[in-house]
Amino acid sequence: MRQLAYVFDLNKCIGCHTCTMACKHMWTNRDGREYMYWNNVETRPGTGYPKNWEKKGGGFDKDGRLKTDGIIPIRADYGQTWSYNFEETLLEGKANQVVPNEKPAWGPNWDEDQGTGEYPNNHYFYLPRICNHCSNPACLAACPRKAIYKRPDGLVVIDQERCRGYRYCVKACPYGKVYFNLQKGRSEKCIGCYPRVEKGEPPACVKQCSGRIRFWGYRDDQDGPVYKLVEKWKVAIPLHPEFGTQPNVFYVPPMNTTPPPFEEDGRLSDKPRIPLADLEALFGPDVKRVLETLGREMQKRRQAQPSELTDILIGYTNKDRYRI
Amino acid sequence: MNTRNLMHRLAVIGFAVATGCLSVPASAAPQDAVGPKTIRVLSAAAIDAASPQAAIWQKAPATEVPLQTAFPGYVSIVGTADTKEVTAQAVRADGRLYVRLSWTDPTANTAIKDTNQFVDGVAVQFPMNGKVSTTPFMGDSKNPVNVWHWTANGHVENLFAKGFGTLTAAPIAGLHGTAVRTENGWEVVFSRSLLAKPGLGVSLQGRRAIPIAFAVWDGNNQERDGLKAVTLQWWQLSF
Repeated sequence: MRQLAYVFDLNKCIGCHTCTMACKHMWTNRDGREYMYWNNVETRPGTGYPKNWEKKGGGFDKDGRLKTDGIIPIRADYGQTWSYNFEETLLEGKANQVVPNEKPAWGPNWDEDQGTGEYPNNHYFYLPRICNHCSNPACLAACPRKAIYKRPDGLVVIDQERCRGYRYCVKACPYGKVYFNLQKGRSEKCIGCYPRVEKGEPPACVKQCSGRIRFWGYRDDQDGPVYKLVEKWKVAIPLHPEFGTQPNVFYVPPMNTTPPPFEEDGRLSDKPRIPLADLEALFGPDVKRVLETLGREMQKRRQAQPSELTDILIGYTNKDRYRI
Repeated sequence: MNTRNLMHRLAVIGFAVATGCLSVPASAAPQDAVGPKTIRVLSAAAIDAASPQAAIWQKAPATEVPLQTAFPGYVSIVGTADTKEVTAQAVRADGRLYVRLSWTDPTANTAIKDTNQFVDGVAVQFPMNGKVSTTPFMGDSKNPVNVWHWTANGHVENLFAKGFGTLTAAPIAGLHGTAVRTENGWEVVFSRSLLAKPGLGVSLQGRRAIPIAFAVWDGNNQERDGLKAVTLQWWQLSF
């Protein structure tokens, strides 16, 4: 079996949510999926989507045993799906202001751009998230009906005919990326846009990414960007590797030193703007080594020297960024 | 002990107990955990037993069936089931079998309104071959079971299984379920023709007895699938 995989370069993500909208319009704007964001972009530091998903439990323990401490997030943790009185205001003239049809109290990006710290030394970055199409999926391990399987291309999907809505998968996914469809009574998740993939097209979120942060292809394709970033240059690492699911979405972590913070006297500090510990809490202990590599290669370019790594990360053309 | 060995041992115990009860007279008295596990079917004619509150249920023998948390057949299934007992009654009338089940459940979970909610439910299970040698734990690949499943959102399912994780829905085949919510619990009547089309249900026609097993789910305790209160051995439904 081969394995499709993704690399998201967080240094390029501008938080535009075009990926989210591409996915939403293609898969989740109807039929009980309205609250679902198979692709979401959250601000870090932040609570994430669903709310506080990092504390929801699930995954595997250090000995590889499926953990059963996971929770099923409640609907409110995913945020409301309010709409607006567009028709009433813009077409019928019955109201003079466009307003939500319910009082918004929580949403998938409620704390967007909030971050942490005091200006001018505050910081935040964007974290786009999809199903990790793990090599060791906790959702698959948890399903007593074997309704979840890995396709020959490595994508993890739920057989809607076999699913009976027990939601062990929702409990078990430590990333909060399996959702329960209240209308259908079945669990659902990102399908890696497999109908597109089968036609040779990359997933919608990948192709629509206006920041061109997304690289996609088979992990074992040594000429592809995923292999080069994950295996050769080793600058793309999984989110929360300690969850034990072996994700196939890899992240180039954000450079934590650029721009540098200010000292009290206004001079630029040599300390990192984002504490290394914060990044290690997300991506594990490899972050330091990755940032050193990125910094070294970026420095080469500043000195007008060639760098294969920065060329790959720029991803000049579609063919450079994704291929199968 | 691995899962397979434990299941086998439990199945053997179930077989021994159920076999033993074939040799004793049917009894309508309350059963204890080690006594004969028999539910006597009251035969009647020209009555309607479909409602849990029909008059006939005042006459049908009532049997208290103790329940235990089901053997966790899968690594993700954890927890302790809430329900300790179900009261079982049965009536045969006009070519149909009626099975009435009532149990205490203070919280009525009748709809899945939130992503973490589950509904109450009850089920009876029969071995398709009518033999107690079939494992009561969802049968196996050679010995399937027929399950009649009611859930408190008003659904009734006719199901088959050939072991853990194999539950499959079949056409409803004339299976009915009627429920009443009482002050402190549920009363449910399953009914179906004694005759079953081949492959669509257990055949009950012409039998003197058939093994039967029970399961109850408390939605308030997030019970679903294998997290349930069950009889760990077959009981006998004695006509």
